[in-house]
Amino acid sequence: MSAVVTVTELTKRYRGVTALDGVSFSLAENRIHGLLGRNGAGKTTLMQILTAQNFATSGEISVFGQHPYENEQVLSRISFIKESQTYPSHLRVTHVLRAARLVYPGWDEEFAQRLVDVFQLPRGRNVRKLSRGMLSALGIVVGLASRAPLTFFDEPYLGLDAVARQIFYDHLLADYTEHPRTIVLSTHLIDEVSDLIEHVLLIDRGRLLLDVEAEALRGQVVTVSGPVAAVDEFSRTGTELHRASLGGTARVTVRGDFGPAAHDRARSLGLDLEASSLQDIVVRLTTSQNGHATGSAAAADKKEAVR
Amino acid sequence: MNRAFTVARLQFVGWRSVVGWPWGILALSFLINVALFSAMNEADDFEPSTGGLMSIYVVMFVASVNAITQDFPFALGLGVSRRSFYLGNVLHFAGQAISYAAVLYLLAVIEEATDGWGVNLTFFGLPFLMVDNPVLRFLGFALPFLLLGFIGIAIGLVFKRWGINGLLMLSTVALAGIGGLVVLATWQGWWSAIGGWFADQPGWAMLVGWPALLTLLLAGLSYLTIRRATP
Repeated sequence: MSAVVTVTELTKRYRGVTALDGVSFSLAENRIHGLLGRNGAGKTTLMQILTAQNFATSGEISVFGQHPYENEQVLSRISFIKESQTYPSHLRVTHVLRAARLVYPGWDEEFAQRLVDVFQLPRGRNVRKLSRGMLSALGIVVGLASRAPLTFFDEPYLGLDAVARQIFYDHLLADYTEHPRTIVLSTHLIDEVSDLIEHVLLIDRGRLLLDVEAEALRGQVVTVSGPVAAVDEFSRTGTELHRASLGGTARVTVRGDFGPAAHDRARSLGLDLEASSLQDIVVRLTTSQNGHATGSAAAADKKEAVR
Repeated sequence: MNRAFTVARLQFVGWRSVVGWPWGILALSFLINVALFSAMNEADDFEPSTGGLMSIYVVMFVASVNAITQDFPFALGLGVSRRSFYLGNVLHFAGQAISYAAVLYLLAVIEEATDGWGVNLTFFGLPFLMVDNPVLRFLGFALPFLLLGFIGIAIGLVFKRWGINGLLMLSTVALAGIGGLVVLATWQGWWSAIGGWFADQPGWAMLVGWPALLTLLLAGLSYLTIRRATP
């Protein structure tokens, strides 16, 4: 599977603030990537640079093998739907859809009209008079119907109720299955999309904490609970992310290489073992003291294991 | 270049507003003038001349500022490059300038043929735009659209790239520069020479030549500015 996006040592500094700090990763073709992280972590800046809307301070980026800046061939294959998108004040919903149809080579008008009906968007209403949720829905319609080979959704759900969000996820998955493309979904509602995401990128304070397959990650982080001594014995092989103690028992979230054997080991130690949800993993990693060091710590652990 | 034509069409998706505002306001201004001078019932030798024509140019100026503050973030959000957006807007504004100037020219001819719409009103055929050469007269209608359009684009871009402080700084520099030149000219007693220079300029240069040069200069500077602008 070839890389659609390659980022090398990407750094973006605003006056006195480092929004991105030496980030490197690549995005495989035709997958759904979850771009996760707290507010101000650098997610939007990253997507703005990848779509040539903003400029990097240093580092290299490559999209479809080329730099996207002023590159029509690359830009026409990207759709970037962001929560902060503004529209010219005289446009109506139909105008925005007509504009998108003009611009995107892969635009599916029939699909767009179907989505407008599903989200119950008022076609004739001025965009400035749409509610927050309707504005988000309009962005989602444009993002899905554009069928761009590389589609970014930056928190596209603002103001949408739970039903509308589920409609979005369902249509995203259905259309992705039918028309495979590379999707980057930036979101805070991690539990809602954890089944959707195939690859996880987690950034915090401008640094990349995770770049891993969602499936692999689920086995990597576990929560064990039981007597303190037994818990300590079990978690020795991994990196402790979080600990809650009550009397003689402890509940610890650990990151490490936990295969099926770990379950047997936990059982023999008399411990309860549960896999952490994606949301738990993200919260533990971003709040843990060890979170930022996990990359190197895990690497050190592996070296030890090899020895 | 194809992409630039796409942008020009993109700028026209809400064409009712794009065309409606300038012509609607001009029509309103015209009707008020006709009604006013009909109601006044003045003697036959009274030949009123108004500046109502300026309204269409003012609306186009506002539209060109909006092209940067509103349409630019929208177009870039749709994956248009800065170059295509810029060229598309040049096409969009040039197309409007040419077609609108043709209509205004036609209206000026009708105005002359009907003795000022029956009330001796000079609304479209403004005296200072009056030249015998039809090509120059046409350009006299068209160029102000382009000049004001590019002034609007330039102001919009300064705001987009450097914010409100950039605009204030630009105003300060302009004020200091022009003020300084006025002081210098007065101190050195250059005013009669400056007046003479203007008087010596041929009509076509004042009507077309210098505005065209200024427009080209602004167009070039705007292009360099938009290349590094962020939506």
